[in-house]
Amino acid sequence: MMGIFHIIEYDFRNFFRYKWWLAGLISMNLADLFVMAIVYNKMVDPELARQIMGYFSFFAPGVTILGLFASAFMIGREVNMEVRREIHYYMLSLPLSRIELALGRLLAGGLRGMMYMSPLLLTTFAFLGIPSPFQLLIILAALFLLAMGISGLSIAIAVSTSSFEKFVTARGLVYYVLFFCSTIFYPLSLIQSLGEEGIMPQPLVTLAAINPLSNGADIIRSFLLGIPAFTLDMVMNLALFSALFATTAIFAYMKIIQRT
Amino acid sequence: MSGDADLVAIIRTVDLTKRFEDVAAVDNLNLSIEDGEIFGLLGPNGAGKTTTVLMLSTVIKPTNGTAFVGDFDVRKNPNDVRKLIGICFQEPKLLWVSTPWDVLNWHAKVCGLATEERKRRVKQVLNDVNMWEARRKSVHGLSGGMRKRVEIAKVLIQRPKIAFVDEPTAQIDVIGKHKIWNMIRQLRDEGSTIILATNELYEADVLSDRVGIMHKGGLLVCDTPRTLKDSIPGGDIVEIHLEKEATDKVLEELKSLKEISDIAEINPKSLRVYLNNVEEVVPQIMKAFLKRNLPILSIKMSEPSLDDVFVHYTGLTIEEAQQKMIKGEADG
Ligand SMILES: Nc1ncnc2c1ncn2[C@@H]1O[C@H](COP(=O)(O)OP(=O)(O)OP(=O)(O)O)[C@@H](O)[C@H]1O
Ligand SMILES: [Mg+2]
Repeated sequence: MMGIFHIIEYDFRNFFRYKWWLAGLISMNLADLFVMAIVYNKMVDPELARQIMGYFSFFAPGVTILGLFASAFMIGREVNMEVRREIHYYMLSLPLSRIELALGRLLAGGLRGMMYMSPLLLTTFAFLGIPSPFQLLIILAALFLLAMGISGLSIAIAVSTSSFEKFVTARGLVYYVLFFCSTIFYPLSLIQSLGEEGIMPQPLVTLAAINPLSNGADIIRSFLLGIPAFTLDMVMNLALFSALFATTAIFAYMKIIQRT
Repeated sequence: MSGDADLVAIIRTVDLTKRFEDVAAVDNLNLSIEDGEIFGLLGPNGAGKTTTVLMLSTVIKPTNGTAFVGDFDVRKNPNDVRKLIGICFQEPKLLWVSTPWDVLNWHAKVCGLATEERKRRVKQVLNDVNMWEARRKSVHGLSGGMRKRVEIAKVLIQRPKIAFVDEPTAQIDVIGKHKIWNMIRQLRDEGSTIILATNELYEADVLSDRVGIMHKGGLLVCDTPRTLKDSIPGGDIVEIHLEKEATDKVLEELKSLKEISDIAEINPKSLRVYLNNVEEVVPQIMKAFLKRNLPILSIKMSEPSLDDVFVHYTGLTIEEAQQKMIKGEADG
C-alpha cells in the first residue's frame, strides 16, 4: 500500500512545479469572485438577488467548486501526456500493483483539487460565516468525494483520448456542460423557470439538478446561507456520481494504460 | 541450446509472441537465461528486442505464449515479477518535469530503499555516471547522452535481482561507455542477472557471458560469444609469408586439417588460410612448414568479430541458421 503514497508524492511534485501558475489561478478565481459579484449584483433582478442573499454570497461557493473542478481535472492532462510520451511504460514497470497505481493517481488528483480549493473555501467562510464543526465535516467530506469524482472523470477521459487535441476538446465539452448546467453561476430555481418557459431544454434542467457540481455548491450554500435547504439527497447524489466516475476511471486507467 | 537442464534458468520464455496488428514483433520465442549471467540480446533494428524486454518486465502483455521470470509467470503473477526487476529503457523515461536527482531519488524510494541508503546510493551513482554536477538541472535541459546516463542510473541504484538494460550506452561517449560497462559487470558480480538488449556488437561481445541473436522476432542462435565466433566456418584468417614457395605436399597436409576450410595462394610465397580455432591450429601449421624446411617470415592472424557472426547469421533464414548451429555443434 506504500505504493499509493509514492504515486501521490509524484503527482504532488508535478503539481507544485506549477506553484506560481497555481497561485496566479487562485488569485484570478478570487478576482472573478469579487468583480463578477459586484457587477452581477447590479445586473441581477433585485427580487432574485434578495432570494439568493446577494450575488457575492451566492457565487462564493460556486467559485470554490469551480476551483476544485479545474484543479482536480489537471491530473487528466498529465496522465494524457504520459501516455503519449510512453512514460506510462515506466510507471507500469515499477514494483506496484495496477490498482495501487490507479488509486494513487485518482487520490492524488482529488487531493490536489482539495488543496487548491482551500483558499477559496476559506474566503467563502470569511465572508459568509463559519460552519459548525459538524457542517464543516459534511462539507469537507462532500468536497472530497466530488474531488475524487472529478479526478476520476479527467483520468477516464485522458486515457480514452489518444491525442492531446482530442483530450482538450473533450475537456472543453465537459467543462461547458458541467459548468453551465449547474448551480455554480445561478440558482436551480432560475434554471427550472427557464425550463418551464421552454428556453432551456428539459434534459439540461435535469442535468443541472443531478449535476454533482450543483450538489457541491448547494451543500455549502445550505449551511452558510440557508438556501437551498439542506437535504441528504444532495450528499447521496454527489456520492453516487463521484463513485461512478471514480470507479470508471480506475477501470479505464488499469485497462487502457496496458492496452498493448 | 544444449545442457539447459542442469543450469538454473532465471528467465524462461515459452513460445512468447507479441503481435501488433499484423506484425509479429516477437514470434514464438523460446529462450532461457541463467541466474547470474549477462545475457546479450542482439539483433538488427526491429528484431523484437525491446518488445521482448517489455513483455518480460510486464509492461506489455504477450499475445501468445508466456514467460517465467524468477519462477513467476508474467501473465499470472505480474506483481511478483515486478518486485524482482529493474529496467533501463531504450528511450529514457524521465518524469517530464523533473531533475535527475528527483527522478532517481523517487525511483529509489518506490523501489523500497531506506532513506540513508537511498541518499548514499543516489549520490554515489550520480557521481559514477558523471551527472552529479547536473543533478539539479531540468531534464529538458539535458543532452541525449545525459538523459541516457540518468536512465541507466536508475537500475544501478536499484540493483534489482534481474536488470533489463535496453541499449544502455547508446548516445554515450566512449569513456562513459567503458564506465557503464564496468558498472554493469559489477552489478552482475554482486548477484544480479542482466539482460542486455543491444545492436552494438562490440558491447555485446565484451559484456555478455552469452549472446542470443534475434531476427524478425525469433531467436537465430544462442551461445557464448566465443562459440558463436568459432561457429562461422573459416571465420579466422591467418596470413603466412614464406621464404620459399610452398609445396603441394604442405598444402595438402594443411588442407587435411579439419579446422582449415580453405587456403588461398596470394602468390607462391604468401598464403591466406581460412580456419577455425586459430590458437590451436597455428602451431600445427608452423610445424608442417618447419618439418619441410620452409621457414616462415611472418604470420598474421585475425579473428572474426561478433560483426561477422551477426552478418553471417542474420543473412540466413532462421531454418538455415539453426541447421548451421546444429552442424557446427556436431563437428566441434
Ligand atoms: N507499440 C507498437 N505498435 C506497433 N508496432 C510496434 C510497436 N512496438 C514495436 N513495434 C514493431 O515491432 C517490431 C519490433 O520492434 P522492437 O522495438 O522490439 O525492435 P528492436 O529489436 O528493439 O529494434 P531497435 O534495435 O531498433 O531498438 C518492429 O517492427 C516495430 O515496428
Ligand atoms: Mg529496441
